[in-house]
Amino acid sequence: MRKIDFIFLSKDHMLWLFCLLLILILNPCRSWATFGEDREKPKPVFTRKDDKITAKLLPRAKNTSVLIDFEVSGAKLIEVQGMDFEEADRPEVNHKDFKSALFMIEIEALSPGGEAKVSITSDFFIRSTQYWIFNQNLETAWMDSKAQNLDRLDQVQELVIKVKDGGPFDSDGTENGRIIMLGGPKDSFWGYALGTLFIRYFGIFIVLSILMLGMIFSGKIFQYLEGKKAKALSKPAPQSAPVEKAEKPDVSNKGISPEMATAIAVALHLHFSGLRSSGPMHVSRLRPTAWTQQGRAQIMSERLLMYNRDKR
Amino acid sequence: MSWDYVLELIKNILVTQTGMPNLLIKQVIMMLVAFFFLYLAVGKKYEPLLLVPIGFGIFLVNFPLAPLMGYTEHGNPELLRAFYRYGVEWEIIPPMIFLGLGAMTDFGPLIANPKTLIVGAGAQLGVFITYIGTLFFGFTLKEAASVAIIGGADGPTTIYLTAKLAPQLLGANALAAYSYMAMVPLIQPPIMRLMTTPDQRRIKMRQLRPVSDREKLLFPLIAAILIIILIPAVAPLMGMFMFGNFMRECGVVKRLSETAQHSLMNIITILLGLSVGATMKAEVFLSWKPLLIFGFGLMDFIVCTFGGILTVHIMNFFLKEKINPLIGSAGVSAVPMAARVSNSEGLKAVPTNFLLMHAMGPNLAGVIGSAAAAGMFIAMFQ
Repeated sequence: MRKIDFIFLSKDHMLWLFCLLLILILNPCRSWATFGEDREKPKPVFTRKDDKITAKLLPRAKNTSVLIDFEVSGAKLIEVQGMDFEEADRPEVNHKDFKSALFMIEIEALSPGGEAKVSITSDFFIRSTQYWIFNQNLETAWMDSKAQNLDRLDQVQELVIKVKDGGPFDSDGTENGRIIMLGGPKDSFWGYALGTLFIRYFGIFIVLSILMLGMIFSGKIFQYLEGKKAKALSKPAPQSAPVEKAEKPDVSNKGISPEMATAIAVALHLHFSGLRSSGPMHVSRLRPTAWTQQGRAQIMSERLLMYNRDKR
Repeated sequence: MSWDYVLELIKNILVTQTGMPNLLIKQVIMMLVAFFFLYLAVGKKYEPLLLVPIGFGIFLVNFPLAPLMGYTEHGNPELLRAFYRYGVEWEIIPPMIFLGLGAMTDFGPLIANPKTLIVGAGAQLGVFITYIGTLFFGFTLKEAASVAIIGGADGPTTIYLTAKLAPQLLGANALAAYSYMAMVPLIQPPIMRLMTTPDQRRIKMRQLRPVSDREKLLFPLIAAILIIILIPAVAPLMGMFMFGNFMRECGVVKRLSETAQHSLMNIITILLGLSVGATMKAEVFLSWKPLLIFGFGLMDFIVCTFGGILTVHIMNFFLKEKINPLIGSAGVSAVPMAARVSNSEGLKAVPTNFLLMHAMGPNLAGVIGSAAAAGMFIAMFQ
């Protein structure tokens, strides 16, 4: 072990440090910029069917795409477009909270100063999903729309937002019968990350515990069956059965092996030397000899070969 | 033909057909990194079977203009790109490695002492702690999950998950995983001594019960049913692992089992190593992220070791027959290195305390545990 400690503290360690320093020195600080590169930026694709516009997108932290439906009552839904988060980036918000992109919703054909209801539906939303609105003309650009979050069938959630022409949710800020609503569904990034982490860590315990119980149960069955089998084999033959003549070992043609001869000789020696000794023979059981330890180490190494997975 | 023409021709050939004028300092650094890993593999014998092909892959891919990781004019992948595309991107190689590992593994110690499965679960603590840590440093959820799994100490699982969630980190993650796996005998003992008293290290465990062949044969079926029903996302890894083990235990397909253990495993290891190394081009690798990944990987290993030992301490509160906490550290996968470390530490405490067979239980549980953790992460992003 001393040798290993020596290795750990010297050459390897120094080489590691040298490499790290080299990379740090030669690598420009702009690397931090690439660090924050938004690789998961959602890119929604829109399709229209009658009065409903559907966005298909790959949200952040997902490998499968989701659908988000947009509908409007009390006015006409003209268009829905995706919006780059960089345009609305402010210190009070984090792009990671907006998993399913930002949208620009355009509504028309309502009376000036009138009100419309925007309905946004998806099975990607959960009960705690909010809809946040961005309006750069206001002092606080980002605000919660206080959308109603309604349960629909098949685990679909519907967000309903009341929006007034010329109101704070209308980005053009004028009562002109046209509403431009910017914003997106918001879920707490840290809430999701920590919540799912907790559930999944204990999930592993649950899975392995179930496997453990299954193995204990099957192990008991196997032990019972093996025990029963062993019992049946060790049962004495019935009394009435003819006693088979025990076969005499045929030793006439086979000589005694050298190992057997050595063992017999040692046994005889120990027997007679034991008789001659006046005191009891002392055998230390607490401290195994080097010979014993070497033997044990060899046995363990041979067992270990079975598990040698160095080849992976 | 004038001299000017000849010189122009030579210049054109040098610029467009040789690598010399196109060689960048970054590529030279990456070659030095490749030499470093080759040195670790050859000189120090740290996971040589993986680090040699990975190191050579890094070395090759950083030559300028070398047609290895790009596409031909017809859109066909070049040599190393083809290995990567069909082996790693298509998620074929990691499950095939699990097939070989299954064929090599004797589950006897785990079957004889199923309680150690809990240790394998406890040792995944570092995976989840690292996941949070990396999020604080600006990694995305997918990247955080792929870095966190390094602590599971299972190379193929790390590669499988990273290829699925954050392929841009594949090289760094795989290197960190295999490097730290090789350093288990250096990383674990101080933590093991810190977390146990001399009396606890002297605990002797009862001889494991013998496990019948029939029990070993049915284990892969039972385990596959339970694990895949609970975490379907882990089916490619666990399915192949248990299939490999079933081939081994059934005894009627010895040729297939031996092929999976030796020839197939060796071929796949070469392809995997080269593919992983080939992802480490200078422009991708030389940034802060790989450095952070190496840092987090180390922390991950430490916390996983801590988690395994802590789990044994907690279990000992409830068990009449105490478990030696030294076997807790074997809950990180790294088979059989981690079990050997437990054994050697046990022998240091009492020269007759052989813990190897007892430590193999949590060690194998660690393989299942890390695959389960990977499955949990995959399911999270579905």
